[in-house]
Amino acid sequence: MPGMMLELERIDTFRGPAQILRGVSLAVQHGEAVCLVGRNGAGKTTTIDSIMGLLPVRAGKVAFQGRDITRLPAHQRALLGIGYAPEDAGIFPDLTVEENFQITSWLARPGGAGGAPAPAGNGYERIFSIFPEVREFLTRRGLHLSGGQKKMVAISRAIALSPSVLLLDEPFEGLAPVVVTRFIEAVKAIKALGISVLIAESNLVNATRVADRLYAIDRGEIIFRGQPNEVFQNEDVMKTIRG
Amino acid sequence: MEVLLIHLVNALLYASVLFLIAGGLSLIYGVMRIVNLAHGNLYAFGAYVTAWAIGGVAAGAPSSLLLVLLPAGAFAAAVLGAALEPTLLRPFYKRAEEYQLLVTFGLLMILEDLLRFIWGPYPLSASELFENFGSLTIGDSLYPTYNFLVIGVGIVAAVFLWAFIYKTRFGVVLRATSQNMRMASALGVNVNRVYVQAFTLGCFMAGLGGAIVVPGQSAVLGMGVDALVLAFIVVVIGGLGSLEGALVGALIVGVVREAGIAWFPEIELAVLYLAAAIVLLVRPAGLFGRP
Repeated sequence: MPGMMLELERIDTFRGPAQILRGVSLAVQHGEAVCLVGRNGAGKTTTIDSIMGLLPVRAGKVAFQGRDITRLPAHQRALLGIGYAPEDAGIFPDLTVEENFQITSWLARPGGAGGAPAPAGNGYERIFSIFPEVREFLTRRGLHLSGGQKKMVAISRAIALSPSVLLLDEPFEGLAPVVVTRFIEAVKAIKALGISVLIAESNLVNATRVADRLYAIDRGEIIFRGQPNEVFQNEDVMKTIRG
Repeated sequence: MEVLLIHLVNALLYASVLFLIAGGLSLIYGVMRIVNLAHGNLYAFGAYVTAWAIGGVAAGAPSSLLLVLLPAGAFAAAVLGAALEPTLLRPFYKRAEEYQLLVTFGLLMILEDLLRFIWGPYPLSASELFENFGSLTIGDSLYPTYNFLVIGVGIVAAVFLWAFIYKTRFGVVLRATSQNMRMASALGVNVNRVYVQAFTLGCFMAGLGGAIVVPGQSAVLGMGVDALVLAFIVVVIGGLGSLEGALVGALIVGVVREAGIAWFPEIELAVLYLAAAIVLLVRPAGLFGRP
């Protein structure tokens, strides 16, 4: 498919002996924001981990910009241009915020996102354009950040890698409504930079505020794919997602 | 007063060597979460290689050449470590801890036999360098000048290691990997490469400890196991995985041992174990360790 950034073809993933994903297929196009919606335990994080290479895919295929990356280790996927901000933010607690950014900015590809020029200087200007607040706690250790700050740093750190696609696992979870709005604006700004975004989200309303397209997942299977406004008309899917 | 000064210098001498061994052990554990029981014999390997180079191959050479050859044991231990990590240790990272302990214990035994196989059962001496350095006078007593070199190497190694870990790119990546290996990998860090580098650096430190100690005492079979036990006392006191802990632990062990020798020579080792037991009771994770 032309313009395809990321594509999953019928992937099966296990955690230990338990099969979590069953034939999951989804696609993210260039410059698109896609949401994967589902209840807790539906398979959203497992899908993100499978794309990132943190969990092995038993069957099916993961392709990035047309290249089969199913068997690539996680670090090579990151270096190809897949950014990742996990649910728990994954901030290194003893490193300062700046050191957290340094890791990805040192490893960033020269080409930058979507073939755009590499960010000038230390690359932080792009981060500050999305989250100017980060400037204030650059020297603070990860251990001393609030939950919202950790999520900000996690997304900023992923951007410092100059990714082509960004995987955000529950980026709005645990945030106050006003902060959620701030994060949704940030996701839109990231998209405007030419970075595709795949968001795993359990709150359908938040998902529809940011997504160009939407997938719903339940018990490891995709049960809906389409435009955000279409999902509200599908009673079965609504019932499943909302429990 | 001079007796006290000599005891203090001896404590620093002992702490310097212990820091190199325990620091390497702690570095490896901090990054890779592996208790490397073979570490003691990597220290012994460093001692044997330097003793072989200084006391055998280059015996009779000028002191300057012997000094250049002094770190040979450290580099040899580093090369050995770089070969061991990907071949023998890496396959066991995803196994239970007891398998890793078994493998590193087996490696300890293999290295001991390897030393016996290569250099035979007799002690290997490199005392020429020690003697060339001569002595200096502290009060009315003569004290070996070489010991100050050992203390100097320990201090320089601690400063370099601190700068390496906290002021370089590699240090940032190393600390990130030690705190969250999975996340580091997802950010593009080649964790396998970091592991082999950390293991090599840890082995280099152990080898350096053996290399600088061997001109003052011969390389003998069993020295690795003795050093390992003492290194464990250091990391129990300082906290396994903490370099600051290794430094403070080595200083404490150095001072306690010297005080033990001065006042309770019969129970010198028992005093060390007692100190470790007290720390374990009060702070189970050690002075700088995280529970």
